[in-house]
Parts: sequence; structure tokens; C-alpha cells
Amino acid sequence: MSMTYRDLFSGLAFLIIGAITAWMGKDFYDDAAYVPLGAGSLMSLFALPLIWRSSRRLLVGSPGGQAVATALVDHPGRFLATLGCCLVYYVTLPHIGFYTTSAVFVLVLAAVLGERRPKVVVGITVVFITLLYGLFAMVLRRPLPVEFFLAS
Amino acid sequence: MFESLLNALPVALQLGSLVSLVVGTLVGILIGALPGLNPVMAIALMLPLTYGFDPVIALGLVAGIYNGSMYGGSIPAILLNIPGTPAAIATTFDGYPMTRKGQGGLALKTACWSSAIGGIVSALALMTLAPMLAKVTLAFGPSEYFWVAVFGLVSIAVLVGKEASKGMLSALLGVIIGLVGVDAISGAERYTFGTLYLVGGFELLIVLIGLYAIPPVLEMAEKPNASYFNADSFRVSAGDGGFGLIRRYWPTWARSSLTGVCVGILPGAGGNLAALLSYNEAKRRASDPDSFGTGNPVGVAAAESGNSADNASAMIPSLTLGIPGNLIAALVLGALMIHGLQPGPQLFTRSPDVVFGFMWQLLLTAMLLLLLGGMIATRLFAQILRMPTALLVPTTLVLMAIGIYTVNGNVVDLYVMLAFGMLGYLLNRLAFPLAPVVLGVLLGPMAEQNLRLSMLIYQNDWTVLFSRPISLGIVALLTAVLFSQAWRAWRSQQHS
Repeated sequence: MSMTYRDLFSGLAFLIIGAITAWMGKDFYDDAAYVPLGAGSLMSLFALPLIWRSSRRLLVGSPGGQAVATALVDHPGRFLATLGCCLVYYVTLPHIGFYTTSAVFVLVLAAVLGERRPKVVVGITVVFITLLYGLFAMVLRRPLPVEFFLAS
Repeated sequence: MFESLLNALPVALQLGSLVSLVVGTLVGILIGALPGLNPVMAIALMLPLTYGFDPVIALGLVAGIYNGSMYGGSIPAILLNIPGTPAAIATTFDGYPMTRKGQGGLALKTACWSSAIGGIVSALALMTLAPMLAKVTLAFGPSEYFWVAVFGLVSIAVLVGKEASKGMLSALLGVIIGLVGVDAISGAERYTFGTLYLVGGFELLIVLIGLYAIPPVLEMAEKPNASYFNADSFRVSAGDGGFGLIRRYWPTWARSSLTGVCVGILPGAGGNLAALLSYNEAKRRASDPDSFGTGNPVGVAAAESGNSADNASAMIPSLTLGIPGNLIAALVLGALMIHGLQPGPQLFTRSPDVVFGFMWQLLLTAMLLLLLGGMIATRLFAQILRMPTALLVPTTLVLMAIGIYTVNGNVVDLYVMLAFGMLGYLLNRLAFPLAPVVLGVLLGPMAEQNLRLSMLIYQNDWTVLFSRPISLGIVALLTAVLFSQAWRAWRSQQHS
């Protein structure tokens, strides 16, 4: 998709967000409405030149700006795998415990992203998790999700 | 006063004081380098432990943590694009691109020297100008603070990025994100959609790490598992020596330190605003403003000297008037009270050794940064870049998770961080600058609260915003920035 189309769609998105912000803001109590109304209206206002410029480029057929923009996602497979691993990590974190989940997360995501040296992966993971444990559990004593095998 | 200052020097150079300065600076660098941990938390945790110590030792630890953390925040900002502290936002603009270009070592060295210089200037300002500068803070009312916030927001939105309209849209998006939650003045809920989580609004650190740190990690993950960074990044000895840096950056350091000192004396303004205004000014004055954001070391020098110059000067209103300018200043006042000292103008006559000794300690820790930051911490942390990409991605994500989780102990914060990460990734690809979004979240509430306070005090008389001399000065400065930017845009259009 060209940058012109992206500018057009992002301009429209900002126009809508601005309009909704201002529309919802008008109902706020007294002076609490000033900034929501102002920020929403200004956002819609600043979206207009973006929409105008991109639509004019599209209608006239002028290249203005990057004709072909960089891809929205360079490598969808790796991108989605990383996001998926993050989501699983966040979901399991409170149930399994911080240090166990984090260790498994590092091991799995490293393998998914193409690291094929088990000794390096395990070595770095152990050192990293031990350092985190030393700092957060022993020195700073920050409360983190308890390990499943320690929970009573 | 100068006699008291000189008498306090031997107190600051006692063995106990020196040990506390070294320990405090090292702890500060570590705290600043870990996202999610901040100097406020570290000082708050440490203060009760110092109850039995001499006040000079306790304040030495505070001074070390305070100055050390300001530099420490720049380490992940430069190496991983994660601002270790909110004040390191502006350091990411050019620090991380420098790392990508193979100049990570040079960026760290520049940041270390700039932090030290900013800290030294700030401590000297505190020592020599404290009583005079304290009076300036009293001249600032809500309308002046409103204009300071608007100036910071609009000038960055216009100067960062290629299109001013995109910068403004990003800034307004940040302002709207900052509106979510309970309104501090009326207590009304805004944009919470009946969700309990949104009542407290979005935590700045979550927005910051999400927008800034997730997108580069995702981009790193998308690349094949090879060395993501140029090998030259590991060379901390790269580039000029100390004197070379001084020769090259002294005008930037002078301007940024002055900006930092001025911002520091304003209660509530903070190091992040000082860094952004300094960066902004450096870019505006540069002969090659387009190189900013692509790895220009002047950007790192300006941001770091600006945020560190805010440190000691933020103590001016607290030590001279007993009014804490920021949370750390409030903790310093707490530390003084724990040790039986009453903050305020009498402090200088009743306990000159402690108060002037603390000023010397702030100066000494700024100097220690060159030794501890430059020789130990920088070399140690630069080794992070040796890790293969496939391991750097998950370890960075775990570091972010622990940083965010420790803020509120709530897993939902992690999902919110990821959502902001996706937003940041999308905005990046659509060529919208991210800095104004963060600045909108940061300065939007400051602008709104001060605007509404002005209206309350002056019974909705809008002319008050334009009738006070300092306000008019800031408006004039803002107009000058906007006109100069419009002039540059017009000239570049004429040339092309």
C-alpha cells in the first residue's frame, strides 16, 4: 500500500477519534470538558490537511512522498510468533510463577527465533534468571507471582 | 555564605561520606538502568535504613542515587531504546539510532560526559545562586506553568518528525490518552467506559515502555538471528577522548545545562521536560537539523546534560524555601526531618555543614559519574549487545515485564503495555513521530490542571493567560519557534 493511502486512512482515523473525543467530552462536568473538547476538535482539525493532501495526490495522481511505503510488517511469521509467545507468557505468568514462566519464555522464544545452540541458550537463561532473582527477590524484595511449586 | 560552603567541604570528603557517594552512585546507575525501578523508589526504600547513620552519610547516598540514576536511565535508552527513567525519553531519539549505526559506545560515552557536566553545572548553580533562584520560582503561577507545558508540547510536536501536522496529531493523541481516568480537580471520570482499570488512568511508565520499547524489539525479532548491532557498538573507547568531547559539545552543554537549571527550579517540571526542551533547542540551533533523530551525538549530549542539570537545581526551592519541587526533593526533606533538621531558610544558619555538605556531595557524585559510569557501568552494560538477537528479544521482553509488573503488581498492565507497543509499531510504520505522544501524556495533564487553576483563581477570565509578563515571554518564544519552523519549511519548499 502506498504512503498516500496510509496517510488518507490514518487521517480519517484521527478525524474520527478527534470527533468522538470531542463529542463524549461535551458531556463532562463543567470545566472538566474544556480540554477534552479542545483536544478532540484540534485533532479533527489537524487531520483535515492530511486527508486533503493525500486525497489530492490520489486524485491528481501525483507521487508526493513515498510512492511505495515500507511493509507494515517485515516478517509476519516471526512477528506473530513473538506476539503469540508474549500473550502466552502474560497469561501463564500469574499461575505458574514469574521466574519459571520467564525461563520457559526465554528458552521457547529463542528457539522460535532461530537460536540453535542449546548450551548458549540454557547458559544465558540460567544466568539471566539468577541475576533477576538475586536483584528482585533477595535485594529489592519486590513481590512477584509466586512459583507454582512453592505455592501452598 | 561562601565561608560556610568552604567549611562544609571537609565534611563532604570524610571517608564515610565518600563511601556513601560511591555506593549511592553505583546503586543509582543500576536502578536507572532497569526500567520500572526509579530513584524515588530506591531512596524511599533506603531512607529508613539510614536512620542510625550520620545525616551526611544518608544524604550522600541520596545524592549518589539521584545523579547516578539520571545517567543510568540513558544506558537502556541508548542500547535498547527503552528509557530507563522518563527523563531519558529524549536520549532515545538519537542514542538508539547511534547504536544501530555502530556507535553505541560513543553514545554511552557522550551520555556519561554530558550527564556529568549537567550535574556539575547544576550543583554549582545550587551552591552559588540558590537564594536568588528561589525567588524566581515564586513568580511562576498556574498561567506560566500552563504556557511552559504548551511550549514543551507544541515545539517538540512541530520540530520532531518531517510533517508538523503529523507531530501535532501525535501530541494530541498523547493528550487524549492522558485524559483517561478520574479528573484530578472535579473528581469526574473521563473516558473510563465503566472500567475499573481505567479509573486511575494510564501509568506513564507503561505508556512509555509500550510505545518506545516494544516496537524496536518486534523489529529486532523480525530480523534473522544474527548480530543485530554493528560490532563497533561494543567499542566504548570509540571516538573522541574526554577533551575532544569537551571541545565539540561545550556550546550544547552550556545551553542545555542552563535550560536544565531553569526548568529544575520550577516545582513539578522535572528532568523529562528539561531534556526535551534542551534537545529541542539543540535541534533548532543546528546547521543540520534533519540529522537529529537519525543518530546525531549532539542530540544525546543535549538531552543528557539537560536532564542531569535539572537534578541539583530541583533542590533549590526545597532547601531554601522548604517547598519540594519534585518527589526526590520531598524525600530529601523527609531525610532531613528524620535526622532532626527543619527544612527552610533557617537550615542554612542552623546546620550549614549538612546543607552545604549536601551541595558538595551533589557536585562530587556528578564528577564520580565519569569514573563509575564511564569506566565500569558503561563497559559492563555495552556487553549486552554481544548477545544474539534471538536471546536479546526474549530477555528484553522479560526485563520489560518485570519492570512493568513491579509498578502496580497487576498483570493487566502487561497487556496494556503490549497494546501500546502495537500502537507504537503502527504509528512508526505510518511515519507518525512517537515522542509527541509521550510528551502529550506527560504535559497534557500539567497544562490542563494549570489552565483550570488559572480559570478558578481568576474567575474564568481568559485574559490572564496573556496579561502576565512571564506568560507573554513564553508565548513570544513559542511564536518564534513556530515562525522559524514555518520559515524553514517554506524555504526548503522553495529550494525543492
